[in-house]
Amino acid sequence: MDLQTRTENNAIVITISGRLDTVTAPEYEKKILELIEGGNNRFVVDFEQLDFISSAGLRVLLLMAKLLKEKNGQVRLVNVKGNVYSVFEMSGFTTLFKMENSIAAALATLI
Amino acid sequence: MPGKNSIAVRLVLVITLFNAVISAVTLGYNYYESRDILQKELESNARNLAMSIVYRVEAQLAAVAKVAEGVVRSLETGKYSEQQFHTLLKTTIETNPDIYGLAIAFEPYAFSAKSPLYAPYYYREKDKIVLRHLENAYLDLPYPYWDWYQIPRELGKLEWSEPYFDEGAGNILMSTCSVPFYKDTNGSKQLQGIVGADVSLDALTEYISSIKILDTGYAALLSRNGTILAHPLKDTIMNETFFSIAEARHDPLLREIGRKMIKRETGFVHYTSLKGFKSWMYYAPIPSTGWTLAVVFPEAELLANARKMSMTMAAMGIVGVLLLTLAVINIARTIIKPLQVLTEATDEIAAGNFDAVLPTAQSNDEVGVLTHDFQIMEQSLKEYIRNLTETTAAKERIQSELKVATHIQTSLLPRIFPPFPDHPEFEIYASMVPAKEVGGDFYDFFFIDEKNLCFLIADVSDKGVPAALYMMVAKTLLKTESQRLGEPDKALASVNNILASGNENCMFTTVFCAILDTTTGEVRFANAGHNPPLIIDSQGVRYLTLKPGLILGVITDVVFETERLTLAPDATLFLYTDGVTEAKNTQDGLYGEERLLQALQNSPQDDVASLIHYIRSEVGHHADGAPQSDDITMLAIKITKKGPA
Repeated sequence: MDLQTRTENNAIVITISGRLDTVTAPEYEKKILELIEGGNNRFVVDFEQLDFISSAGLRVLLLMAKLLKEKNGQVRLVNVKGNVYSVFEMSGFTTLFKMENSIAAALATLI
Repeated sequence: MPGKNSIAVRLVLVITLFNAVISAVTLGYNYYESRDILQKELESNARNLAMSIVYRVEAQLAAVAKVAEGVVRSLETGKYSEQQFHTLLKTTIETNPDIYGLAIAFEPYAFSAKSPLYAPYYYREKDKIVLRHLENAYLDLPYPYWDWYQIPRELGKLEWSEPYFDEGAGNILMSTCSVPFYKDTNGSKQLQGIVGADVSLDALTEYISSIKILDTGYAALLSRNGTILAHPLKDTIMNETFFSIAEARHDPLLREIGRKMIKRETGFVHYTSLKGFKSWMYYAPIPSTGWTLAVVFPEAELLANARKMSMTMAAMGIVGVLLLTLAVINIARTIIKPLQVLTEATDEIAAGNFDAVLPTAQSNDEVGVLTHDFQIMEQSLKEYIRNLTETTAAKERIQSELKVATHIQTSLLPRIFPPFPDHPEFEIYASMVPAKEVGGDFYDFFFIDEKNLCFLIADVSDKGVPAALYMMVAKTLLKTESQRLGEPDKALASVNNILASGNENCMFTTVFCAILDTTTGEVRFANAGHNPPLIIDSQGVRYLTLKPGLILGVITDVVFETERLTLAPDATLFLYTDGVTEAKNTQDGLYGEERLLQALQNSPQDDVASLIHYIRSEVGHHADGAPQSDDITMLAIKITKKGPA
């Protein structure tokens, strides 16, 4: 897994590539916790290059959403597609997360 | 015992060596410096000595010359009878002890027309003064042909002869101071004859030989042409010249010195003396005769003191070096002794005995500090090993506890097959292989009443101990709620509400929950985010199309929906977790849903146990040795051919 973050329009844009599973999820969790504790509460996560997500990956996404909800923050998922989208659909995540087709669109919906 | 390279040996070697070298250099410098000083002093002393001898000899010779000139003046100014000549000669000798003999030698016929030659000669013979007539004394050669007569006659001035043996007259080795005398006739000087005053060389050589220089040094006298006149080697006197000796010795330096002497030069040289010793020689000419006086100082004797001093210094140096060596050995031992003791103790530590007693630090020096450090190190090592032992023990305990946990977890899942021997209308089989010691997957099946069998498969997010604990709770809840509520949708909704409240860690679980009416083959099922099962019947193998349902434990008040299907006789429902479809091979390739479908089509259909074993081996075949990353769980249920009772 490779994780890159940048700031755009007062939001943190996270680009994640590779696999988000039991092995890599703790790393993602640590990074997200740091960012949220650092006072950031507007996030866009780009799944364009994410090949695979496991239940451990879904768990850290839930954790992120939960933490942000406590701080009145928001998260948008972008480019959720392929088998990742299948997993989302199957697990009902499509109803839990707001998803957009592009980073620009996602940023626009963050107020 | 330390060998050649021990600190003590090296210390002693280095210090002794350097000290010896420094001593030797100092000694050598001192010796050559004192030799140099000695030589300069010697030159000055030798010059003074030589010049004093030269002056003395010169004074003696000058006195003789003065007497001869006095006689000439008397002859030229007065008229002397024959008797008066004799009286003049005799009294002059008597009053001048330096003069050996005195002659008045007339030119032929100058004394008398009757006699061609006339030369009265008075000389000393055994304390008496004796007369001899030279015109008769020389048998072979008349006196006008002798050098002492001829050379001053030709030169017309005072002249000292080369030393010669006066055969026939004086009969000794002598040198003559000859002065011509003239008669003044009508304003022109007419040579009348020669006055010759003899000096005995025996007396001169005796004087020179009497000069003592140190113990073995000496003075020597050489004539104008280098003939040896006075020398401690008596045989060489009048027999050898400086040049004949140089020739015999093949010594060009000696010849060079001889040449300088003949040129009436003065010099100070280092050479091998005629006696064969290395010596210094100062030589200077005697002005009136042109002879050369040499004073010779033997080097060995001169340097004897310097050598003696050097030897004493060398002895002192050696003693000093020895004492220093002893001191160094002593210091080295004092330094090394505690080091050796420390080394012995640390050897024990190195061998693994961390209870070895280290020597107590005696001082605050480096060894003391080192000893102290070793003591701390020994303590730290002991501490570390104790910690390590404890940690290892704790880890082993956790490992064994995990094994127990795995055992408990697997024992919680139904493992006895066939589980319901008195229900021949269906077959059921399941397996769970955890990726870590304890897994997050589980399955379950149980009768909720006499005819309805509840069966379910679930996958808890993540794996390991947290997932296993969560699984325990979920499994228990699912069983109790299914039994209590009797419908899959209600059971899931109830369990979800319980799990979602106070779920700090955002753990969740997917569940596929179904209830089979064993009398009709109807299956009522509800899905909470789980992978769709497959159905195998007369129409082939296919995935069930499910309505999406949210996973359990995320948010409360989720509504699930019960769907229905009827399993015909011989139809099989195959449930699995994503550990099957997401099993990876070494190239990270997933097993995938398509492969699973294919495998099920090819699987043996006789009984559900062999079906699951077949899929398990197919998945293992795909993984090809790659480590299992997720729990692999499968459950298959089949309506037998007889159909529901």
